[in-house]
Amino acid sequence: MKKSFLILIILTVMSLSLVSAQDEAVVATPGETVNMILLPKFLGIAVFDQAHQGAEEAHAELQNAGTLEFLGPTQENSAAGQVEIVTTAASRDDVDAIMISNNAGDQLGPALEAAKAADQTVVTWDSPIPSGDSEDLFVAQVDFDQTGKVMADMALSILGEDGGKFAVLSASPDAANQNAWIASLQETLEDEAYASLELLDIVYGDDVTETSYDQALALVDKYPDMELIMAPTTVGIAAAAKAMQDEGLCETVKVSGLGLPAEMLDFTLNGCAPEFALWSFVDLGYVTYYATYLLATGAIEAEEGVSFEAGRMGVYTIEKDPTREVGLRIVMGPFSVYNIDNVEAAANPGGAEMTPEATEEG
Amino acid sequence: MYRIRHYIRPEQIREFSLIFIIMLAVLFFGTQIDGYYSARTFNRIAASVAIITVLAAGQTLVILTRNIDLSIGSIVGFASYFAGQQLSANQDMHPLIAVGIAIGFGALLGSVNGLLVVYGRVPSIIVTLGTLAIYRGVLVDYAQAKTITTDMMPTWLVDLPRVNLFTVGEIEIRVMVGVAVLVVIAFQLCLTYLLLGRRLYAIGSNPDAARVAGLPARRIVLLAYILCGALAGLGGFMFLVRFGTITVSAGVGLELSAVAAAVVGGVNIFGGAGTMFGALFGAVVIGTLEQSLLRMPNVSEFVRDALLGLFILLAVASDAVILQQLRSLWARWAREARETPAAHSEKESGHAS
Repeated sequence: MKKSFLILIILTVMSLSLVSAQDEAVVATPGETVNMILLPKFLGIAVFDQAHQGAEEAHAELQNAGTLEFLGPTQENSAAGQVEIVTTAASRDDVDAIMISNNAGDQLGPALEAAKAADQTVVTWDSPIPSGDSEDLFVAQVDFDQTGKVMADMALSILGEDGGKFAVLSASPDAANQNAWIASLQETLEDEAYASLELLDIVYGDDVTETSYDQALALVDKYPDMELIMAPTTVGIAAAAKAMQDEGLCETVKVSGLGLPAEMLDFTLNGCAPEFALWSFVDLGYVTYYATYLLATGAIEAEEGVSFEAGRMGVYTIEKDPTREVGLRIVMGPFSVYNIDNVEAAANPGGAEMTPEATEEG
Repeated sequence: MYRIRHYIRPEQIREFSLIFIIMLAVLFFGTQIDGYYSARTFNRIAASVAIITVLAAGQTLVILTRNIDLSIGSIVGFASYFAGQQLSANQDMHPLIAVGIAIGFGALLGSVNGLLVVYGRVPSIIVTLGTLAIYRGVLVDYAQAKTITTDMMPTWLVDLPRVNLFTVGEIEIRVMVGVAVLVVIAFQLCLTYLLLGRRLYAIGSNPDAARVAGLPARRIVLLAYILCGALAGLGGFMFLVRFGTITVSAGVGLELSAVAAAVVGGVNIFGGAGTMFGALFGAVVIGTLEQSLLRMPNVSEFVRDALLGLFILLAVASDAVILQQLRSLWARWAREARETPAAHSEKESGHAS
């Protein structure tokens, strides 16, 4: 009796694993032809160039016989330029998929509708279409809720267990991702573990170096007992760190947030910005490429619960995007936290690229 | 009293009225912001307006000739990127050579503007709107998404923003502030005493008359653009020094700040009138308002921009009203002096005795 029961359990488990095996992650078939466009918010910024690198890496890996075009507007013309590029792409026969980091809010809607009507796959990365219409999938860099916790942890690590007062220097007041991150930070701060941290103010530097620099100094003047500026923007964090350095304030006011290792190298080494975080834009471009390739070749459908393998980055499962009413996403993650021990390796691209390959071989 | 008009023109009083407006603003903010009356406030504002002052000085030269240069934001960005790149490749480069590279590069781009305006016979607003986009576009292509970062720069450059020319008590005059003031004084002297300066005014006041009078108008306008580009190049170098991290978006929008500073400072947008000191005061007025509003408690982002616009409007409007009144007063005095020369001279001698 006992024995047959055990056999029954074993059989059940086996059949379950068989079912799940059918549901396993889809692996891409290399060598198909997909013509793709990678469209960043604008050209000329290191992070988007890194995403392009990642996409090129995946392009080579998958031996795509099609083309990968890196097209983008200039910064002043970002929204209008994006609309123009998508509109042109939608009317081209030789484009199968568009990967876009949206900087035009919902203005891209009509252009993307045209692209969808022409059977083109639309995947957003870094920044989604707010309404969720006219996009197949959003590749989120990190879980937006995690951002707040990462920032709060860095604040505690810099200020010590007894905590202190700090302020947030954001980009612009209407940047959806910034606001989501700040909201998540505020939520995290309500937790007992972070009771020693006090958020004094939230100011905006518009992602302009001059404004961010001035705002950082204004914070210092407004709050004499402030010990930390948290800037979840790569422009803001570098400008704030330079401002503290120029005014000789690095001993009293530290800077942290989301920054690029190459831009923050000096400030981390001299202690102005001892710790900061970011995700890898190379990986983001890489994962985005895999997802788009799979969607465009019909290997997967953009549906909840569908899993696929994105090369060296592993398996991802499509889920409903909790940050928007409509829309599907995958979350790449995780954050890399940089400090004096690892910032030099990360700032030197050769050194940073070596690490994952070295571990794979080992 | 009548005699004043022989020595002072209404336009000169205008500069005093700007100082008066700055004082009013300072009095107001002093009641709103704790510890506003301190050397620190002065230091912060001075450091923040240094770059825009240099740009406004260059812009003034061009506006005086009844033209405009909207491309300087891109020139600043390109010059700072180019100078930063040269410095990172040659760490031992002499500081003056590095400054020279930035200025020379700016002058080169400025001369392109000037040639197109003078010989292309295209309105300057269109030419420079075009080159604004072209210079930025070429920079984006040239930079290949590489950022100039502080760790690539020699130590002297990174430390320069901290260096004081001299200090009076706690008031610090930084090197950058000194450079800006020096530029303003030097170009003001040029405008007042050099033939070139007088010719800039002549061309802007009445281009046709200037040409008929035999002034080499084309050469002078071209020179104004080259100088404006050179000053934008210098501004680019100061941008590199102050901010350290230079991406392809460096200096975006500075052209409008420079035009605003010049116009608030009383430089006539239709040419022919205005001074370097006016442009300096204009930059200081805007800088004071901006920096003070940043430090005012409980002023939200959106309200701040609106307030800044309102204050600038008030400053310019009240300034215009004052100037209007003064002009008519001067004119009335002149008329009275003509109509009653005898009585006038009697009155004056009466006053004198």
